[in-house]
Amino acid sequence: MASDNIQIKVKRQDGPESKPYWQEFEVPFKPHSNIISCLQDIQRNPSTCKGERVNPVVWECNCLEEVCGACTMVINGRVRQACTALVHKLDHPITLEPMSKFPVVRDLHVDRTRMFRNLKKVKAWIHVDGTHDIGEGPILPDEERAKRYVLSECMTCGCCLEACPQFSKDNNFLGAATFAQVRLFNAHPTGKFDQEQRLDAVMGEGGIADCGNAQVCVEVCPKHIPLTESIADVGRQTTLQILKNLFFK
Amino acid sequence: MDRVSKDQLHYLLLKTHSLTGLVPIGAYLCVHLSVNSLRTVGVLPYQLSIDAINNLPFLIWIETIFIYIPLLFHSFMGFYLSKNARYNLARYRYPRNGLYTLQRLSGAVVFVFLVYHVGTTVVPKWTNGKHLFEAAPFLIEIMNMEFQTWTGRIIYLIGIASAAFHFANGLWGFCISWGLVVGVRAQRNAALAFSLVGVVLTVMGLATVFEFSVHPESTVPTIAGVFSGKGGG
Repeated sequence: MASDNIQIKVKRQDGPESKPYWQEFEVPFKPHSNIISCLQDIQRNPSTCKGERVNPVVWECNCLEEVCGACTMVINGRVRQACTALVHKLDHPITLEPMSKFPVVRDLHVDRTRMFRNLKKVKAWIHVDGTHDIGEGPILPDEERAKRYVLSECMTCGCCLEACPQFSKDNNFLGAATFAQVRLFNAHPTGKFDQEQRLDAVMGEGGIADCGNAQVCVEVCPKHIPLTESIADVGRQTTLQILKNLFFK
Repeated sequence: MDRVSKDQLHYLLLKTHSLTGLVPIGAYLCVHLSVNSLRTVGVLPYQLSIDAINNLPFLIWIETIFIYIPLLFHSFMGFYLSKNARYNLARYRYPRNGLYTLQRLSGAVVFVFLVYHVGTTVVPKWTNGKHLFEAAPFLIEIMNMEFQTWTGRIIYLIGIASAAFHFANGLWGFCISWGLVVGVRAQRNAALAFSLVGVVLTVMGLATVFEFSVHPESTVPTIAGVFSGKGGG
């Protein structure tokens, strides 16, 4: 075997209910290649190191520029996007695993529906269509806009949840990404209309109070979203809300 | 107000867990370690402070309502919540993740320590019927015995350090979860300030242990109006 081949160990799973197993592959090293191109190489020639012909590895990807979040997986033990994981910057052999906190569809492809359901729970949008005209949205000061812009970069990739010790398959924790979106939409003058509903949605089981402040979310966020600051900010909003609920309603 | 829903109850329980850690438990920890550190000044001031506490009216009610019930609530809630934790420090080695893990570990250590601590001080005090001015010499003698062995000293060193850490780090978590400290820099500054709190509490506790270990001194019950300690008059 040529020395400039790359060894890749993949944790595979044939279906949602089947048992995972490991397989090793070897692909030729190409300068500036990323994990996606390696997976494409495996797809072209799906033979393991032992020479066994197998089904090609399944994964998801879309934008290839770290804005869609589809190719999120655990690479060398750390959750990140496959598209921006450059092979020459990784330790070898490379290990690829699906995210462990989401149900596996097949191989490296996971189902992140829970994240989108959570966004629905907290109404992570701004109501513009209603029974009455709410007029034009007010103009935001640029400083405020810049703060919101960073939060809007969230691509629902799931890194923060995969790395979160409070988030697991068997609980209903909403997680950092959802809390940051609550902050984003509550910080919008028109979005504020639904502020109380959003806060009520994060003040239940699996809500903001379940955060354990391990702060791993902010360390692994590929978009550098100030997640811990957002959690504290939503924490402040819910504190005021609970005082209001308890003593002023 | 309507009947509280399951979600609201969950939120209120978590908030109460967070609050009880600060008041009354954290506040009590500070008072307890401060009062005990009087031992470093001398056995007499220490004895007088214990006398003051043991002569409080309705002491058992004060202890039950402000210490035992909140402490048991905080402990069992803590154990229940940490069942949910999926520790991943081995994979994600960040300081905060370490503190998260340590917070849960120290909570368990403090719980075990408190069972021992209460079981060897307050429980014998009640079973032997040592109340009012009788309590201080009895308790002081127990501590003198305790700190004659390295086992006793080490149990207390671990217990005090764990409690101080759990309180200081918990204070930081409290400030974030209640939204008192929000910004990244504010969080860092708060962490610095609270680590100082933790260090001060630990040093106070260790100084007390040191004094007991080096100068074990027995006392006799104070008689109101008359000093009883050595050289008193």
